[in-house]
Amino acid sequence: MIDISSLTKSYSGFRALDALTLHIPDGQLFCFLGPNGAGKTTTIKILTGLVHPDAGTAAIQGMDVQNNATEVKKIIGYIPDTPFLYERLTTSEFFLFYGELYDLPSQQIITERNRLFGIFGLDSHRNALVRNLSHGLRQRLIYATTFLHNPPVLLIDEPFVGLDPYTIKLIKSMLQEHTRKGGTILLTTHILAIAEDIADRIGIIHEGQMVADGTLATLQADHQGANLEDIFLQLTHAGKRENAHVNA
Amino acid sequence: MSTHNAIWKKTFFQVGNALRAMLRQSRLKQGFILLFIVIFEAFLLFLFRDGFRFLSAFGGAGVIITGRIFALFFLGLAWMLLLSSLVSSYATFFGSPEIPFLLVRPFSMQQIVLYSFIKATTLSSWAFFFIVLPFVGAYAWHQALHPLFILWTFLFSIPFLFLCSSLGALFVLMMVRWLPKPGKVRIFIMGSLVLGALFFLTMRSSPNDIDEMQFNLATIIPGMRLAVHPLSPGYWMSEGIMTLTRGHMQRGLLYLALLSASAATASIMVEQIGGKIFYAAWQRVRAAGPTRRKPIMFPKLLHIRKLLPADMAAIMAKDIRIFFRDPAQWTQALIFFGLLGLYFSNLRVFHYDQLPEQWRSAMTFLNVFAVSAVLSSLGARFIYPQLSYEGHSFWMLGLSPTSMPRIVAAKFLLAVITTSLVSLSLIFMATRMLDLETQIQQAALALIAAVCLAVCGLSTGLGAIFVNLDEHNPAAIVSSFGGTLNIVLCLCFMLAAILPFGTIFHIQQISLTTNPGIMRFLPLAYLWLILITLLATIPPLWLGYRSLMKRDF
Repeated sequence: MIDISSLTKSYSGFRALDALTLHIPDGQLFCFLGPNGAGKTTTIKILTGLVHPDAGTAAIQGMDVQNNATEVKKIIGYIPDTPFLYERLTTSEFFLFYGELYDLPSQQIITERNRLFGIFGLDSHRNALVRNLSHGLRQRLIYATTFLHNPPVLLIDEPFVGLDPYTIKLIKSMLQEHTRKGGTILLTTHILAIAEDIADRIGIIHEGQMVADGTLATLQADHQGANLEDIFLQLTHAGKRENAHVNA
Repeated sequence: MSTHNAIWKKTFFQVGNALRAMLRQSRLKQGFILLFIVIFEAFLLFLFRDGFRFLSAFGGAGVIITGRIFALFFLGLAWMLLLSSLVSSYATFFGSPEIPFLLVRPFSMQQIVLYSFIKATTLSSWAFFFIVLPFVGAYAWHQALHPLFILWTFLFSIPFLFLCSSLGALFVLMMVRWLPKPGKVRIFIMGSLVLGALFFLTMRSSPNDIDEMQFNLATIIPGMRLAVHPLSPGYWMSEGIMTLTRGHMQRGLLYLALLSASAATASIMVEQIGGKIFYAAWQRVRAAGPTRRKPIMFPKLLHIRKLLPADMAAIMAKDIRIFFRDPAQWTQALIFFGLLGLYFSNLRVFHYDQLPEQWRSAMTFLNVFAVSAVLSSLGARFIYPQLSYEGHSFWMLGLSPTSMPRIVAAKFLLAVITTSLVSLSLIFMATRMLDLETQIQQAALALIAAVCLAVCGLSTGLGAIFVNLDEHNPAAIVSSFGGTLNIVLCLCFMLAAILPFGTIFHIQQISLTTNPGIMRFLPLAYLWLILITLLATIPPLWLGYRSLMKRDF
């Protein structure tokens, strides 16, 4: 469960978040849409503790992310758009390190490694150094490690960049399985089809404010049955820019 | 296993993998690096030993100086470690991509700070051992000390290292956390600190209340008084090692306890204070978003378009802007050249201009050597990776209406102009301060100009031959085979260029009455200098250009 209340953040006069309020219950995959610089990544960074808000509160499973930082970090899994990996570790060593960070028993780490490496097609790369992996394999590794400690809350920034169709399908099904088991997911993406495909609920953020929030069906109903792309363009004023460009 | 242990286990794996990767490299490269290390260490060992022998030749004064020089050496190392710690602490705490990774994992701030502090200390210390080993070895050899001396030195080195590093780390953390952001206030505070430090140093060098012998030592060797001050960690270290070596266990262990307790206190302060302020400091630097600071546009750079073709001017202007917007680049150059500038500007304070002619001549060529060494290291660090820095955006240059020779020429020209401006000014100042005769001044300036050309030619040329557009880590580019070859060739050039001039002037000055004809060799030395400069400049640039032309991008 994620609770955000009146969250505000400015960067040198630029307001990235403007009193954003949001509640994501357990068992829901919430998809955050918005143009570049709308405040999606800032929201996720505040939830992870990487950025301190100017005002407002953010809580995960009822715990304030600023006041209970260490406890919150134990129950979240965060996948940034360009994840940091230790280049000089092998994939197995990185997995082991990740498990030990979360104080998991060695046997569980080994069992989960065998299972997740099998699922993500990393078996043949167990002893490969991370620095020698392709972008897609790195992404698969970060997903495998994030699922290791089975966090109830997942925060994912642009989850499908550089992945092949097989891995995208695999991850989509794993995320849906996660929410079926009661997990909460906050996911940002620019690919509207992904949001249409897997989101239980969609939020559109523009200039730091939530301008639409609901299921795909309710959003369409509110906008005379328009498709998600038209709704997005209409709400973020990008449609005006697009039209201006076409007219020019 | 606790999260805290996990990170150390991870570090152990990383080191193991790095060593294995190193061992998998070609035997030739391994042998070459090993040989270079052995030669470098042996060279320093014999150099230091000869230095001690030379001092012993002065009799009583030499014995006193030799005794004190051990403390002075550790004072110098303390300053070096402090400076190194400032750079590595900032890079580790605020520049490392590992920190955001750790911040979102279940670590306390104290754990992150302690881990980063130890990492920064390790990073800033490797050069310490490279210098300490030959110095201590030479000292033990010359004084015929007991082999236990080496053990005591190692034992004292660890707390000494942590003490110096923790002071640097604390300074960085507190400055980043509390230093006001507005430019004018920051400049005022930094200016006051620098002026305060200069005032303190001036007061320290004032020879008012010391006896004649101390006065002489203090004027010959800067920092001597501070080095033997009872509150100086360098003094605790040198005195502790020496007393233990002489078998005075109680007094020696007292110094070890003093140093260890001070290092532990300072480290705990880093952990506790750092743990409290690090998150806020990190927020100021990394989570502050885009700053409103006025970008360095250098509008006057447009004037270079009047002198150069537009494509070359554009490449040079871009490189200048990137250099000044990357603090890691300009601060390193500033520290190296700044320290040399500080030293050269104080030559008269130490009365070096009143030394006999042959001493001033020797000092001049040593100064040229020092500036050349800095040029070589900066050439390896900044000029060699220039083309590799273009990375995956190299296609942009490749597709633009310019040509490969002009790209290489732009990089070379910019490097030559910037390095020669700084190094010629430094050597000009040094020679003026030493009040040298015109002939030596001219030779020194010609040498440094030649070194600039050669270092820039070698670094640009080899950088083009061994260009690596897939590597983003500057350290990996610099430490590659091409980078290593580059610095070795630059150092060889330095020796080949400086030694003939140094030898000619030295022989001329020590044997004026018996061998005045030695100066007939000076034109030959100039001819040799021109020849090797051309060899070190043109072929590497040509080969670099050819290599780029053959490549697919």
